[in-house]
Formats: sequence, structure tokens, C-alpha cells
Amino acid sequence: MEMTSGWSLFIIVIVVAHIIGYSYLLWSTSKMKSDGHKEGETTGHEWDGIEEYNNPLPRWWLFMFIFTIIFAIGYLILYPGMGNYKGTLGWTEENAWAKENEQVLAKRAELFSTFIDKPIPAMIQDEKAMAIGERLFANHCSTCHGSDAQGAVGFPNLTDNDWLYGGEPDTLVQTITNGRVGVMPAWGSALGDDGVKQVAAYVRHFSEEGQDEDLVAKGKGKFAMFCAACHGADAKGNHLMGAPNLTDATWLHSFDSGRVESILLEGISGKMPAHGNILDEGSIKVLAAYVYSLSHE
Amino acid sequence: MSKHAKIEKNIGLMGVLIALVVSMGGLVEIVPLMFQTSVIEAHPNLKPYTALEFAGRDIYIAEGCYNCHSQQIRPFVDETLRYGHYSQANEFVYDHPFQWGSKRTGPDLHRVGGKYTNEWHEYHLMDPRSVVPESNMPGYPWFAEKLVDAEQTAAGMKVHAKWFGVPYTQEQLDSAQADVDGKTQLEAVIAYLQVLGTAIPRSYK
Ligand code: HEC
Ligand code: HEC
Ligand code: HEC
Repeated sequence: MEMTSGWSLFIIVIVVAHIIGYSYLLWSTSKMKSDGHKEGETTGHEWDGIEEYNNPLPRWWLFMFIFTIIFAIGYLILYPGMGNYKGTLGWTEENAWAKENEQVLAKRAELFSTFIDKPIPAMIQDEKAMAIGERLFANHCSTCHGSDAQGAVGFPNLTDNDWLYGGEPDTLVQTITNGRVGVMPAWGSALGDDGVKQVAAYVRHFSEEGQDEDLVAKGKGKFAMFCAACHGADAKGNHLMGAPNLTDATWLHSFDSGRVESILLEGISGKMPAHGNILDEGSIKVLAAYVYSLSHE
Repeated sequence: MSKHAKIEKNIGLMGVLIALVVSMGGLVEIVPLMFQTSVIEAHPNLKPYTALEFAGRDIYIAEGCYNCHSQQIRPFVDETLRYGHYSQANEFVYDHPFQWGSKRTGPDLHRVGGKYTNEWHEYHLMDPRSVVPESNMPGYPWFAEKLVDAEQTAAGMKVHAKWFGVPYTQEQLDSAQADVDGKTQLEAVIAYLQVLGTAIPRSYK
């Protein structure tokens, strides 16, 4: 961060010249003869009846100026301001940040030490841990999963104990640390429009009455062939693939009519970003515990 | 006539002296920075904006996103824990003008690159409340339909290369128009958002 000595000198010269110049200005104006006028007399100038006194600065005002000059000299000795001179305190913005950061991290480690070694099901009983988890969630997760963690279209609800990848403590830590990518391929070319309608009807019939029975029957066979590998023969989903349970009324993506068909035609994917490289292990564990607490007492 | 009166009665002289006094601060605080390598040399990981990112940046400016979003993470722990590594001057050398901003109705965006998926940005720009119900950010639904102005993007990049010394290759300049032709504003803005602040890894540790 050093600058060349030429620029350093440039700054020093201007700063020193200013301090000397202003000191002189103060000294000379406080001594200056006021053109023969006495205190309390006017200069003789008059504009529209407004006259101008020629009094010296009030004392307290003068002292304020003197104080700012003394302050500036003190500041320039303690802090960097004179070109490359570093100041006796050795203060830099970077160091100031690093020092404060260290203090905060130490404080956090101390705070965490009261609960961080507990297994997650026990940690959720710790009010402090949960309060911290809530703040961390608000900062790092809420924009995708909602501040109430109930999700949005394409972003899973984390409060309902219905999991894409599983809600066991270790699985949650895994999900948050490494992220997840759920990919559902496009089926338009394999199934054709009719085939898509049939499996869509079959998928819907689990949670919605009144599907066309003929379509459902045809869809059932196709489902076993094309879909069971990921969603399971019973369509109850598969945590290894992140394939959702299709038999309940909980949908990751919107299930409005027509939407199922378009998901099947075009495919869809969802990505939970990895947080292992951006959050510390302790915070991840607290977050996992917080998520766990949303569906457990 | 006293010196005081001389200055007071000669408006031209007074103007010159005022200008001199006012420029002193800038002279010591700003001018030397313009010659300091740590400020004017690009961060080693920093790349000039691609044509699509460049177009997205133009839209960001045109729509006034900077009225609600800053792009400067200050070196305070509360900010670095929330937004990631503090911003450095050498991350902005290809920004003309930079988008530091001064108003934070919404969060700082300097390290938003890679924070979200493209899908999230799509939902969010179309209708912020579809993913963040509490949001008061306006939606930009026309982004999905309106196309990027390819000609202007290419011309803008040329200006940056010629006048501001942004190190674009001739190849990049030549293909710029074709690169963004037919792209939507949505794609451009998202490409821009996804590259923001990626020269330094985002971390909240
Ligand atoms: C960019 C948006 C985004 C952010 C930020 C995000 N997530 Fe996710 N998360 C997702 C998506 C999308 C999925 C579903 C992945 C899929 O579709 O396969 C998901 C899945 C999950 C799951 C698995 C749910 C299940 O049913 O198995 C958990 C647990 C989770 N996220 C927790 C978190 C936590 C904790 C955070 C904060 C550290 C977080 N997420 C931040 C988008 C996000
Ligand atoms: C390669 C594994 C795989 C196969 C094969 C597969 N899916 Fe999927 N499916 C997924 C995944 C993973 C998701 C979740 C996508 C996400 O994370 O956004 C999904 C999501 C869905 C959804 C949306 C669920 C919701 O809650 O919104 C439906 C409906 C669906 N699949 C139906 C089918 C049907 C019908 C078939 C057969 C034609 C099929 N899938 C075949 C993996 C698969
Ligand atoms: C009226 C003020 C306002 C304007 C204008 C505005 N935003 Fe926002 N923005 C917000 C607020 C408030 C949030 C936080 C809530 C949310 O996520 O929607 C936000 C959040 C965001 C986020 C998510 C940041 C994060 O880290 O979570 C992005 C990205 C974003 N805005 C981009 C934009 C872009 C691009 C534009 C211009 C096209 C824009 N904003 C214009 C207020 C605004």
C-alpha cells in the first residue's frame, strides 16, 4: 500500500504548509490593526442600512481554531496521514477489521462452546442455540426458504417433516455443507404429449379426486417404466435422488393444472447451494439444529 | 487599502483563492490515489465484463438499482459477517462509473455473485414477493420480454476499451454484438449479478 516517495513528499509538504499557514493566519488576524477603528466601531461600510462592525473574533471561537490545529498535529502523530508515515499507533483499516473480527470470533467460540458439542436433538432444547440459529437462518437461508422456513415454489418447506433428502441430523448437516442438486429430466420426447397426460393424471390421482380413470390406468404402467427408478414404485419418493414424494399434497413446484404437464415435458431442477466453504462448521451445525427444531419438539 | 479589502473587493481574485482552498483536500486525498498501484491495478482475478454482463450492467444503471442497493462492503465485522469479504478498490477498476452507491434500502450487492441460483434471480426479478414475501423491491416483469440493445452494448464496450483502458481483446469487441443479440434483459441482468464480487471468494467465516 506504499506510495512513491514523490507522492509521499507531495502530501507532507501540503499538509505541513497548511498547518503553518493557518497558524500564521490566526496569529496575524488576531493581531491585525483594524484600519484604525476601535472595537465596537463600524468599518464605515453600509449597505441598505446594514453596517459592519470590525471586532476581533470572540475568544472562544479563536480557541476552537487553535484546538483544531492542535488536534490535527496530534492526529498526524498517532495515525497515518503524512504520506508514507504510519503513525505511532500503526493503525490501518485492514488491521482494525482483523482485530475486531478476531474478537468477535473468539466471543462466538465461547458462546458456542456451551452447546456445540451436544447432539442435534439435544441442542434444539437450548434456547440460546436456537436464537442464534434463527438469526443465521434469517441471514443466509430465508431469502430462498422464507423467513418462516415454509419455502416457496421451487424452494422446499423445511417445517413440514416431508423431506427431499431426509431430515436426520447428519443428513441436514450434509445438505447444508455440500449442497444438493435435484434433477428431473425432460420426458417430452420419451412419452409424447399423450404419455405425459397419462402419467400426469396418474401422479395427480394420489392427492386429487376425479381423475380420468382410463388415463390413470395407462399412466400407471408408464410410471413403473419411466419414473419408479427415482420416485419409487409406490411414488413415495427417494431421498438418495432428492426425488419428491408424489403421493402427498405437498408440492415442491406448483401443482396447478398444466404445471405438472410442463414440468414433465421440459424437466426441472433445483439447487441448494453448498455452504461448507462459506460458513464455519459450528454455524452449520447450529443451522442444522435450527432446521431440525422446526419439525421436532 | 488593507489586504482584506483588496480581496473582498476583487471578486475574480476571491474566486481564484476560494477555488484554491477548496481543492486542497482533494489534492492531498484523491490525486495521489490516482497513481497508487494498489488502487488502479486490477485484482488478479478480475476480468472485464463479458458482453452479456456489460449489457446487464447498463440495465442495472438504467433501472436505477443503485438507488436501493450499494456495492461496497465496508471493513466492519457486522458487514463482513453478513455480506462476505470487504470490498477492495482494485475490484472496481473496470467499472466506469462504479456502482458503489450510498443508499441501502435493499442489501449490499457487491458479493451477490454466486450467492443464488439463476432460477432464484428469475423468480425474484419477475416478482420479488414470490420468494421474499416481506420484500418491498419492485418487480421487473418486462425484463423477460425486452431484448438487450446489442448495438449499444458493442459500442459501449468499444468506448470502455478505447477511452478507459479496459483490456478487451479485439475478438471480444468484434463478437460483442453477436454475443448479446437476441438475449433478454433478464439474462443480461442475471449474468451481471452472478459475476459481482467474484474476484474474491465469498465467505462469512
Ligand atoms: C439459492 C437459494 C437457497 C439458499 C440460499 C438456501 N437453500 Fe436450501 N434449498 C434450496 C433448494 C432449491 C432446495 C431443493 C433442492 C432440490 O430441489 O433438490 C434446498 C434444499 C434444502 C434442504 C433439503 C430439504 C429436503 O427436503 O431435504 C435443506 C435442509 C436446506 N435447503 C436448508 C438450507 C439452509 C439451512 C440454508 C441456509 C444456510 C439454505 N438451505 C439456503 C435453495 C436454497
Ligand atoms: C432421474 C430421476 C428422476 C426420474 C427418472 C423422474 N424424476 Fe421426477 N423428479 C426428480 C427429481 C430429483 C425431482 C425434484 C426436482 C427438483 O429438485 O426441483 C422431480 C420432480 C418431479 C415432480 C415435481 C414434484 C413436486 O413436488 O413439485 C413431478 C410431478 C415428477 N418429478 C414426476 C415424474 C414423473 C411422472 C416421472 C416419469 C415420467 C419422473 N418424475 C421421473 C427425479 C426424477
Ligand atoms: C425500492 C428499492 C429497490 C430497488 C429499486 C431495487 N431493489 Fe433489489 N432489493 C430491495 C430490497 C428491499 C431487497 C431485500 C428483499 C428481497 O430480497 O427482495 C432487495 C434484494 C435484492 C437482491 C437480493 C440480495 C441478497 O443478497 O439477498 C438482489 C439480487 C436485488 N435486490 C437486485 C436488484 C436489481 C438488479 C435491481 C434493479 C433492476 C433492484 N434490485 C432494484 C430493494 C430494491
